[in-house]
Amino acid sequence: MPEKNEIILELKEVNKSFGGLLAVNRVNLSIRKGELRALIGPNGAGKTTLLNLVTGTLRASSGQIFFKNKEITHLSSHQISHEGIARTMQITSLFSGLTVFENIWTAVQSRKKFFNPFIRALKWQDVKEKTDSMLELTGLKDKAQLICSELSYGDQRILEMGIALSTEPDLLLLDEPTAGLNSQESMALVKKMRNMLSGQTIILVEHDMGVVMELADNISVLHYGAILAEGTPDIIKENEEVKKVYLGSEHA
Amino acid sequence: MISNLSVAILNAVVWGMIMALIALGLNMIFGLLHIINMAHGALYMLGAVVAWYLIQGTGNFWIALVIAPLCVAGVGILMERGLLRSIEDKPITTIICTFGIMLVIQQLVLMIFGGSPRRIAAPIPYRFSLFQLQYPLMRVVVAIISILVMAGLWFFLNKTKYGLWMRAVVQDREMAVGLGIPVNKVYMWTFVLGSALAAFSGVLAAPIVSVDFMMGREVLIMAFIIVIVGGMGNLEGSVIAAIMISMIQGIGALFVPPAIATVFALAFMIIVLLFRPQGLFGE
Amino acid sequence: MLLQRGKSLGFILIFVLILLILITLPFFVNLFYQTFLTELFVWILFAISFDLIFGYTGLLSFGQALFLGLGSYTVTISIKKFGLSTEPALLLSIIIPMIFSWFVGYFSVKLSGIHFVIITIIFALIGNIIGETWTSFTGGSDGLTFSPRPFHLGLFQINLMDIKGNYYFVLAIVAICYLFLRRMVQSPLGKVFISIRENEERARLIGYNVQRYKLIAFIIAGGLSGLAGGLYSLTLKYAAASYLHWSVSGHAVVYTIVGGMGTLIGPVLGAGIVMSLEHYLINILQATDLVVGIVLVFMVLVAPKGLVGLIQSRFKKGKVSA
Repeated sequence: MPEKNEIILELKEVNKSFGGLLAVNRVNLSIRKGELRALIGPNGAGKTTLLNLVTGTLRASSGQIFFKNKEITHLSSHQISHEGIARTMQITSLFSGLTVFENIWTAVQSRKKFFNPFIRALKWQDVKEKTDSMLELTGLKDKAQLICSELSYGDQRILEMGIALSTEPDLLLLDEPTAGLNSQESMALVKKMRNMLSGQTIILVEHDMGVVMELADNISVLHYGAILAEGTPDIIKENEEVKKVYLGSEHA
Repeated sequence: MISNLSVAILNAVVWGMIMALIALGLNMIFGLLHIINMAHGALYMLGAVVAWYLIQGTGNFWIALVIAPLCVAGVGILMERGLLRSIEDKPITTIICTFGIMLVIQQLVLMIFGGSPRRIAAPIPYRFSLFQLQYPLMRVVVAIISILVMAGLWFFLNKTKYGLWMRAVVQDREMAVGLGIPVNKVYMWTFVLGSALAAFSGVLAAPIVSVDFMMGREVLIMAFIIVIVGGMGNLEGSVIAAIMISMIQGIGALFVPPAIATVFALAFMIIVLLFRPQGLFGE
Repeated sequence: MLLQRGKSLGFILIFVLILLILITLPFFVNLFYQTFLTELFVWILFAISFDLIFGYTGLLSFGQALFLGLGSYTVTISIKKFGLSTEPALLLSIIIPMIFSWFVGYFSVKLSGIHFVIITIIFALIGNIIGETWTSFTGGSDGLTFSPRPFHLGLFQINLMDIKGNYYFVLAIVAICYLFLRRMVQSPLGKVFISIRENEERARLIGYNVQRYKLIAFIIAGGLSGLAGGLYSLTLKYAAASYLHWSVSGHAVVYTIVGGMGTLIGPVLGAGIVMSLEHYLINILQATDLVVGIVLVFMVLVAPKGLVGLIQSRFKKGKVSA
């Protein structure tokens, strides 16, 4: 059992360049177990790119990424998933032609080692039970048989979190969960997230400062691919530089 | 040997020019609409067949060279407006749909034109001597016409409003819509232009090869090879690749059986697809 | 759960009923129709194997003809040139195409979208050209003819030279393959395939090695396409290089699209309808593929989910209004 304060994810001098453009610039980042870290910064600051590096969707140009003391810099996405990192996308990414039940099922069964082609999937009682409990947790039990493209947008965001959680991650990356929601829907989502995600270690990329201030234990501010400031919400709120480049420009 | 080689090189250049025109049509449609037009070879064949009828009627090759592509352009309008319009955002579906269209065109020609190959006589029957061998002047004329058409196309794409629009849509569709460019019209005209190019090359090729309902099948694959090697969406690349590949094929065929030369070309294409999917000449 | 059980019970009933009809049919129809139906079964197998890779895994492969042709040649050459008996020849017609589809798939699944389509066409073309050129081994476009020995199964012996015997033989194998595939698409492995079809990126992010499972689907489909080819040659007593041509894959595409992709019953219906159509049209029309092409274009545009999709949506609408 890892201790409460143990570092679970560590980025060391991570760079990512596209052509000549430096999208992520010498980022050092440590996430502790149980922490909810918000990652903020103006558009194009490299937040999503950073998440892509952690999940192996993109490869770092240089630097190292450690997860639970193991280097994952060069692992591919599916291997990183099995190391225990899950993620939701900025643009909702679901198995859109399948039912809610099937979506969760597919995520739950991903933890199995061997996929027997000769038995019916529903024979897997343990997967079924886990799927049911995930449906319970996400509050989507009543909608389990709906095709997920029939869900409301907010429910789709919840479902995607459910999928991510179904892989039993030790670290969850959320890429702008409230994107595309109005403020009322946002608040409802945040409320739900509090229930669903309690105790999880989370990196949250978010534009809505209200949501960030409400949820985050710590905040890292990205600017032009580099970490500009880091600290608790109160510290970040008072940071002059952050105000200038980020908060200032947003509210001006 | 030297005479054989020079004839082979000359043939390869001529054929390379024709293939370049076909591949340009295919590649324009791909670059802009993201449609892999499986019926492109059938449109090439249709051009030659329509030309055959026109020559039967008028006795003039040059009239056919102008009219046949226009007729096929009409078919292109029907295809794009009538059929492909609603599925343009689904590349895989358009492949299946154009595969069906290919079947329809081939079979219609089989029904009307018949299954046996026919010949179109070269309108310029003269031959000139080349290292003791006689070479048909018509082929040189075909190459020159192809070059002129390509030059015209370059001018059209780079110097006219429509060309500018086309390039804008390729660059960034959303932006083009925002700038008020009639994207749907650009789609249609690109498809029409691509179809006409296929038909035009069909007419040009007709005096060199024989005209039959399956003549587009091999050509389609060659055009694919060229587009991929040259880079999808890269028009200059297509021209270079067309000449390069027909050179390799033409000269290679002097030394190895043509089938083996083709297998090597195909294997080469697989390697390009795997390691340089953007094509040899892309950045 | 109860609903599921009811569904499978219904399926078993219908399946057994159709099987019974097909078993008694040879006593009522002449040899011509028996051959026609045997060929239909073969194409059904080809179509459902294609549906596994296209309809369930989302990969449009025009390379299936290569594996069909390979299976067909495996049976023909191993019987004609190496004097093998029918049982091992048929087994090889699964294994050899599987080995080839491993090779082809290994490279192909690295690509996606249209690039995948094109690379499978190229591989099939290479196979076709080699088949056409290497005439001493393949008979080229003239092909090879042979006579298979009877198939032994325990105490039973099936004479494949007899049209009726051949009919039952092919029917039995295709029925088994259908059940095998049906089970597979409902199995955990099938769920993985479907997840890749639905959203490759999402599948990867929840830990599926997408390339590996694409390859597995490709190999299974390749083996079954090969078996279809083997059965085809056992039926026709013939193999030719033209079966290797990529456009032969078009048959499977047509049947699957017309019937409904991603449902196994779809390709079965599609093959039945399109082949019957062709059969009746051939007397009036020289170019039967014309109708096939029109049907294909029509279905793609009007009913992309095929006949099964049409029936399902009709059924659903009825339920809502009721």
